[in-house]
Amino acid sequence: MGEHGYDVVIIGGGVAGLTASIYLAGKGFRTALVSRGDPACCLSTGCIDVLGAHEDPMKGIDRLPRNHPYRIAGRRTVIDALEAFLGLMEERGLPYRGSLGRNTGILTPIGTTKTTCLVPITMEASSGFTTTHIHVVSFKGLRDFYPSYITSRLANTSVSVFDAGTSSTLGLATKFDEPSFVDDFCAWLSGLELPPGKIAVPAVLGLKDPKAVLQRIRASTGREIFEIPTLPPSVPGIRLFRALKDAFLARGGHLYWGNAVASVETRSGQVEAITMAGPCRPSRAHARAFILATGSFVGGGLFAQRGSVRETVFDLDVKVPGPRRDWFLNDFFSPGHPVEASGIEVDSSFRPLGCGLKNLFACGSILAHGEIMRHRCGHGLAIATGSAAARACERLLS
Amino acid sequence: MIIIGGGATGCGIARDLALRGVPHYLVERGDFASGATGACHGLLHSGARYAVRDKEAARECITENAILKTIAKKCVEVTGGLFVRLPGDSKRYRDEFLKSCEATGIETVILSPSKALELVPSLNPAIEEAVRVPDCSIDPFRLCLLNATTSRRLGGNILTHHEVVEIIREKGRCVGIRARERLTGEIKEIRGRIVVNASGAWGDRVARMAGSRVPMALSKGSLVITNHRLTNVVINRLRPPSDGDIIVPNEAVCLAGTTSIPVDSPDNLEIDPSEVDTVTTQAEQMVPAFGTTRLIRAYTGVRPLLKASGTEADGRSISRGFQIIDHKNGMISILGGKLTTYRLMAEKTVDVVMDVLGFKVPCRTAELPLEGQDELSGYPLSKRLSKLDDIVCECELVSRSDVQRAVNAMATPYVGDIQHRTRLGMGPCQGGFCTYRALGIMQEMGRVDPDVSLSILKEFLQRRFKGIRPALWGDQLREEQLIESIYMGILAMGQGHG
Repeated sequence: MGEHGYDVVIIGGGVAGLTASIYLAGKGFRTALVSRGDPACCLSTGCIDVLGAHEDPMKGIDRLPRNHPYRIAGRRTVIDALEAFLGLMEERGLPYRGSLGRNTGILTPIGTTKTTCLVPITMEASSGFTTTHIHVVSFKGLRDFYPSYITSRLANTSVSVFDAGTSSTLGLATKFDEPSFVDDFCAWLSGLELPPGKIAVPAVLGLKDPKAVLQRIRASTGREIFEIPTLPPSVPGIRLFRALKDAFLARGGHLYWGNAVASVETRSGQVEAITMAGPCRPSRAHARAFILATGSFVGGGLFAQRGSVRETVFDLDVKVPGPRRDWFLNDFFSPGHPVEASGIEVDSSFRPLGCGLKNLFACGSILAHGEIMRHRCGHGLAIATGSAAARACERLLS
Repeated sequence: MIIIGGGATGCGIARDLALRGVPHYLVERGDFASGATGACHGLLHSGARYAVRDKEAARECITENAILKTIAKKCVEVTGGLFVRLPGDSKRYRDEFLKSCEATGIETVILSPSKALELVPSLNPAIEEAVRVPDCSIDPFRLCLLNATTSRRLGGNILTHHEVVEIIREKGRCVGIRARERLTGEIKEIRGRIVVNASGAWGDRVARMAGSRVPMALSKGSLVITNHRLTNVVINRLRPPSDGDIIVPNEAVCLAGTTSIPVDSPDNLEIDPSEVDTVTTQAEQMVPAFGTTRLIRAYTGVRPLLKASGTEADGRSISRGFQIIDHKNGMISILGGKLTTYRLMAEKTVDVVMDVLGFKVPCRTAELPLEGQDELSGYPLSKRLSKLDDIVCECELVSRSDVQRAVNAMATPYVGDIQHRTRLGMGPCQGGFCTYRALGIMQEMGRVDPDVSLSILKEFLQRRFKGIRPALWGDQLREEQLIESIYMGILAMGQGHG
């Protein structure tokens, strides 16, 4: 078995785990990140929902219940973390736009408005989509995008369809990574007689350098263009994940990809080491501190049994909102079902309560009382608590 | 002739009338099999379950079992069935069971635990013995479709998605109905000499429209569906009929149930999470892996049982026999019974109708195989894998062209009709991904008005959640959280839209 030593090991490669990893690697700590595979972030829109339920997310934070992870982190930390995220994304060539003091609305594939806070530059022009003509460009055979959902809801719209010979969003994104394909697409667009207004496309404008694709189309058509997020797998979600992962590697972090934690070793109130099982031989990593960022149910950090909820790595106590019959409300469209308050409760340093492990921290959607669907605070909560847990961990390590 | 109800009985009556040359209409408020027919186990009973308590019902079952195996080959999977006796189950009941099976002509073979485990390796190894009987698995939806095929070919008119809103009476006699198309609200008036009430649990409601009543004792039964097949043989518990004592393999899944809870109305049924626990716990005793297997959803239906006069009998002790009531006002009601005896129920009903009409044509439904079985291709994997690029339902491998073909063949605006006929949305995600796509394709084809597509999607998601919610834990809960994040997070459907 391989044996490795680090200052800190982060378990879980989603937005929270990556945020914490990037912070600590950037501070010069020997940092390792262990992940079972691509995170749930790849299924998301890539937008950073900070607090969709309030018009001004920053003001809204103080109105959340005291046990909400944002309140534990504190407003100052949340702002610092999100500003650091904006700087980081600029550095990685995938700039995000938006104001922390005001939410924005972007167009969805069914013509509704999604409230969010920070959006990738490819969706910047989506804001205020109702005030201008929108020309929707779709792709022949694309199985997850049907423009009629949009055109039936929005009066000022038109549609044309491009045949790219593939029916999946990822297949299309790969094509947009080729400059010659982008040229063909631009030539086709220029041949259409488009009315004045903006162009909207499903989010497929390349995985590598969507900013360049955007600029190329803008230059050739003279029109603003924006992406509409699609159903999973989502190209903007994958871009966000890859940008964070690359940022971590650029800071000298070590990645264990495709590795599950098989066992944990604890002694006198400390986590000493974990053993990882992956595609290659198992290895053991010991460290001075550990951060748990394995996500909620979708990410696999929590697993629901018929009558209880289990934390999957350390078997920590999980706060659950009552018996199973109370986990879900009757109305599917309820703004958040009670079960999503499940998770790990932490102290003011983001250390899990009740386990007595002094060098273990937790962040992201595994935290109790986050209620992400209800407050619409998905990636914002991951970034803020990832950063807060990393800072607490930094204090311990220094 | 006007038949109200498109379950197995109504469709069976339509076929029987067609074969005897009687022109008819069938009116159904949903799709075929949308009541008790579609909400049962899909078990073609051998009759063994009823042998001890209701010999007449048991005899009917074993006779019809043999007939359906012959005439409906493509709907029946000849699985065989086992009655398993677990430690603590009464040996005296077992003796009585064997005696009753013999008396009613149901063939039994006693298997030792090791023989039974050889046949069904997933069985609880603690079983004391098993009795093999000729139970089978049957597809109720296909059965309805095929019965309707004959009716249509011979000139019968079948109107699904039409709800009867009025029974027209003249001088106290039923002379027709008015039915409303569900989507458009358009009212159709149909005239006929006799109205057959084959509306199952809605029997009393329909009878009232004709100024009559039928005594019914409605009893709700809930079942669960597993993500895969745990047994290739029907498994029953060898004890007096009770909750959760039957597991039936069907296509790629297993169905287990039921509960039995009295209800006042056949509409707006809710499934309580405790019912799912009851069924799962019971099924787990016979097949231990049931407790750790992913459940994809629960469903519930109402048994259209007849109220036994003067007694406060519970749902299970009421006879599974059926009764035909001539209301002497132009309406004939067919009540009670079960899926296995649908053909016999249809035959007896049509016999009464023929008497009233004064015709004499014998019934031929037991001899002639159901029409259209050759066209049922089933769902061969090779066919589905050949066009992977075009798949819109990943769980059941349904392609865009399959959807387009079904939409064209039926000219239907109902996405549910497409789901029932292609299996789209029947897998683990329960339509969470593909219904949005199917509706998109139907919009492209001009079959669904884009303006209403979002409300159709919303309604579908609510209905879907009703079945999923009571059985949510494990991987199904995990997937449901993802589905929720798609509709609420990506599509923003919870933000006051739609």
